[in-house]
Amino acid sequence: MIEHHPDQNLLLEYANGSLPWAQALAVSAHIQMCPRCTQHLRQLNELGGALLDQSTASEPASDSWSRLMARVDSSEAESAAPATAEPPVAPRKISDPMLSGAPPVIRKLLHTNPPLHWQRVSRGLRAARLVTGQASSEVAFHRISCGAKVAEHDHRGQEITVVLYGSFSDADGVYSVGDFLVRQPGQVHRPTATQDQECLCLSVVEAPVAVTGLLGRLINPFLGIRPA
Amino acid sequence: MMPNSQDRDRATVQQTGSIRQDEWSQLLVAVGTQRNRAAFERLFAHYAPQIKGFQIKQGGRSDSYEAGEELVQEVMFRVWTRAPGYDPSRASANTWIYTIMRNCRVDALRRQACRPGLDEGLAVEDVWDEALDEQPLVYLQQYREQSSISAALGELPEEQSQVIEKAFVEGKSHQEISSELGLPLGTVKSRVRLGLKKLQGALAGKKSQEVKR
Ligand SMILES: [Zn+2]
Repeated sequence: MIEHHPDQNLLLEYANGSLPWAQALAVSAHIQMCPRCTQHLRQLNELGGALLDQSTASEPASDSWSRLMARVDSSEAESAAPATAEPPVAPRKISDPMLSGAPPVIRKLLHTNPPLHWQRVSRGLRAARLVTGQASSEVAFHRISCGAKVAEHDHRGQEITVVLYGSFSDADGVYSVGDFLVRQPGQVHRPTATQDQECLCLSVVEAPVAVTGLLGRLINPFLGIRPA
Repeated sequence: MMPNSQDRDRATVQQTGSIRQDEWSQLLVAVGTQRNRAAFERLFAHYAPQIKGFQIKQGGRSDSYEAGEELVQEVMFRVWTRAPGYDPSRASANTWIYTIMRNCRVDALRRQACRPGLDEGLAVEDVWDEALDEQPLVYLQQYREQSSISAALGELPEEQSQVIEKAFVEGKSHQEISSELGLPLGTVKSRVRLGLKKLQGALAGKKSQEVKR
């Protein structure tokens, strides 16, 4: 049972397309696991549809329709032509059982990424960075071993966590598959995985403006780590 | 909002409706199933001006006329190519076209940002799902007359409808709205939440009369 959801403001910024790519990815992963937020999103989309319906009309240019149909015609001629493209590459099988049940957006993300490279961050915690074509946030999987206690830490930027497998807890509660959490910088916490199961989360950490200039640099989200 | 359309909307609020039977949704089905160009032309005549109007409202930009034309081309092209996947029991034509337009905007912004690794990565549709198709429909009676939503919007206090309209029409984040209006971010967020709460009745299908102020 999912108990932690993105708030209405985040959902609205997802629905209007203004949410940055990495954060939208996390919201999308949650929505694909959460019927309640799917329902909210549908309602927000309906609201967008109602506003589109009542927008002040502005006539398009006189050649707008003919331009459009020229494009339609040429795309249909193209698709009618014998296919010369190479056969589609079968997507790599996701062998990791912790990820095979992940929501579609995460599975798609895995297919567009090179094989995961897990790095030890601290005792009981490993991270694998994901390439998402943007540099304003770091997107990674975090994996906490069975029963491991992660060292107390905080973040330099806002962190969004979506639980994809297993569960973990901290002083504020227990989080299981599908749960969506937002932590502000400076909110110190100490996650602990459940005894009998590993835990895997998607983590999106907003990079502080000062360091985003270095494209592709791994910004360790646990830089704020303190000795346990 | 035009007063006469609002009056018309109020008049139809009393009608019940759960499955989309409106003219535009039916035309969209004709485009999808029969590749009917006459139906597509009628959709174009209706939606192209709405889309362009939406974009022009994005405000103060000298290139908004050009951008409006480009957006019309892109959105309507996608409407043509994706219409076979349109399911009228899941979304009204307005809503479906709204989500396509939003994705075109996201696409355009993303192309401007032009980060390495962009081409091989996820597509906008992977992150912003247009159809929400992989999810079960949990509430069957969910698609109500959009006119009741419009009516409920018309009843919101101006300060709440203003931020909600800016968000959807202009595609702005709370932060952008806050800088534009010179309001604290927290104020913008709480106005959005209050407004959405009041719209909840109309969005969930209750009649607008039951929406409490
Ligand atoms: Zn949710």
